[in-house]
Order: sequence, then C-alpha cells, then structure tokens
Amino acid sequence: MSLARIFEQHPDRRYIMFGGKGGMGKTTFSAAAAYYLAKKGKRVLVFSVDPQASLTDIFQRDIFGKGPTEIIPNLYAQEVDADRRVKEYQGEIRQKILDMYGMDEIPEEIERYIHAASAEPAMEESAIFDKVVDIVVNGGYDYYIYDLVPLGHTLYYLSMASVYDAWIDKITHLREQIREYDQVAAVMRHEKELDEDAILNELLYIKDRLKKSSSILTDKNKTAFFFVLAAEEMVIRDTAKAAELFAKFDVPLSGYIINRVLPKELKDQNIPEYLRNRLLMQEHYLEVIEKDFAGQILASVPEMERDVTGLPMIEKMAKVMFGEF
Amino acid sequence: MAEQEKKSGLLQSVKKFVYGLVAHDQARFALKTKASMEHLFILITMGDMLGVPILPPYYSLRLLPYMVPQISTWKRRMLREKDLTDAFG
Repeated sequence: MSLARIFEQHPDRRYIMFGGKGGMGKTTFSAAAAYYLAKKGKRVLVFSVDPQASLTDIFQRDIFGKGPTEIIPNLYAQEVDADRRVKEYQGEIRQKILDMYGMDEIPEEIERYIHAASAEPAMEESAIFDKVVDIVVNGGYDYYIYDLVPLGHTLYYLSMASVYDAWIDKITHLREQIREYDQVAAVMRHEKELDEDAILNELLYIKDRLKKSSSILTDKNKTAFFFVLAAEEMVIRDTAKAAELFAKFDVPLSGYIINRVLPKELKDQNIPEYLRNRLLMQEHYLEVIEKDFAGQILASVPEMERDVTGLPMIEKMAKVMFGEF
Repeated sequence: MAEQEKKSGLLQSVKKFVYGLVAHDQARFALKTKASMEHLFILITMGDMLGVPILPPYYSLRLLPYMVPQISTWKRRMLREKDLTDAFG
C-alpha cells in the first residue's frame, strides 16, 4: 500500500480530503487515516462537512454539534451542527436589521426572504464551508481531514468559487462607481451619503472567506485529495467525470483508492451463481479501473467482514490502508 | 448704473438658471446611472429573491441589512422594469 508513502513523501500536505460518491467509504477512510496519523503522534482534527454527518456513527461517540471531541490522544473529531449555525446566523442578521433601522420587528417581506434563503440546501452547505474556514484559520492541528459531501455538491462549490470571486470583484467595482456618482449627486442635491464603506467592507470580507475556502481545496502544496471508488460501472464513470472537472479547477488529486473489494479467493470456492457473477463483474471493472486510472491507484481495500464502526475496526482498517504501525 | 446692475442681475439669474438646468440634468443622470447600478448590484447579491441564485446564500444574507430600504421598491421595479428617475419626468 503506497498510502503511507504518500504521507511520508509530502509532509506539508496537511489538508486531507476523501472524496467520492455517497457510500463509497469516505467516512471510513477519513476516520482510519485520522487514527493512523494520531497513532504516529500527529495532532489530527477530522471533521464532517456533510449535513448527513456520520462521524458520530463510526466513532460510536455522540460528537454532533459539540465542537472538537477527543477520541483517542491526538485524535479529535468534530461534526458541525449546520442547522444550529444557520439559525444563530439568522438571529444575528435580524438583530442587525432591527438595530440599524430602529425597528421593533422585521418587515414581512424581509422575514420571508430570510426564511426562503435558509430553506435552500445550499445555505446549510455554505454555512458549513464557512465554518471550515473558521476551523482552519484557528489552527492548532497538524492535520485536517475533511469528510467531504458526495461528489455533486463538492463540484458545485468548486465550480462556483471562481465565479463568486469574479462577481465580487465586479460588485466592489460597481459599488465604488456608485460611490463616485453618489458623491456627485449628493453634492448637487445636498443629500446624506450612503454608508458605502460598510457595504464595501462586507463585500471584501465575503471575498476573503470565499477565497480562503476555495484555496483550502486547491492548494497543491498543502492539500491531498483522495478519490474513493468501487468496482462498479456507474461509480467509475462518475469518478472519471469528477476527475476531469477537478483537473479543470486545478484541484490536486493525489490518487485513487478502490474500496469494497470482495476477496478474489472466493472464486475458487463453492459459491452460489450470484456471488460468482459479482466476482466476475468485479474482476472486469478492476481491469477497467486499472486502465482508466493507470498509475494513480494508491490502494485496494477489501470489503471487511463487518461494517467499520468502533475503534477496533477502525484500527484494523487503518492497518489495511497504511500497513502495520 | 442702475441699468448696468439690472443687466448683471438678469445675467446672474440666467446664469443661475442655466447652471441649475445643467446641474439638475447631471444630477438626474448621476441618479439614473446610480439607480441602475443599485439595481444591478441588488440583483447580483439578492437575486435569490427572484430565483437567480449567484452568491452562496450564507453570504448574500450578510448583505441583507444594507438592502432593507431598497428591497420592496426594488422588487416592484424589477417586475415593472421602470426607473426611479421617471418620477422626475
């Protein structure tokens, strides 16, 4: 297994991400990698950015919304309670509006907007990503392991990051132009000037946050991205598509990990037809993977005899991935 | 002498009047451009309201307090495609 080697060869790559479709094993690998690194004496934070967080399940500890929780020495796990964060945030915005305009209550139209915006799935995800920036900026760990959301959402964010950057630039430019016109008009009509500075500051803050979260995803020197896949047709195709997009957005891909590999030895045993078929299918698709992702496959991980939950199974998985330690 | 003063008085008034027109026009133009820029700015940042999502909702919400005075008027304008400065004629 060359996974251990990858970590040894690139000690600066401290933002680790396991990506791939739901159910491929990202959480398992995130937990196992975190375990391995912690045992090697590194201070690790593994955190979930998936609203359907499952670190609680795999560590069998309720860590949801509780901040970084120590699992074993050096290993900290965190599940962000995005829902609570969004609600707190709404409260902050409401309070700001009440304070700014000396209102007693929020106008109905504004309240409706706040509700509508918060109902979007993108609200929860963007809240989580903002939290990621916070966590990383606060520092305090040698390694950060992100248990990423399934393929579609990750790509949405990657595709939007550069768009937002360009838009914010345009917007700040627009605002600066507005400010010029404003001054001209205000002088001529003796009007009060808008608080342009405050808006500009907000825009610059937003731009900075977006830049930080996208740089975490794309910094070649600091980021290692592993794609997890299984020997199935649709998964292989989706992975190939995602890899293309990642290349387009310059996301550094360290390599692929094949998961859920059924033991080949079963073929020689007396097994039911259905299982034999599955093994043949797997053989075929492993060859496809070998061809399509030649030279980039870092590990082939077997389907374990039971689900990977709890520390003993995590340790077992870590040893399969990284060798004895 | 009085005649002279009267003339300069008149000239002054004409000057004031002309400058007034010009200034008003410039102010109108500045306002119109500003209005359409505000318009564009709000669309970009709060487009969600009309189903045109551009910024992540977490961040566009941050800008909401600054947009409060303009929102109800903006939405109506957006749907009517008229301009605030039409009021000046």
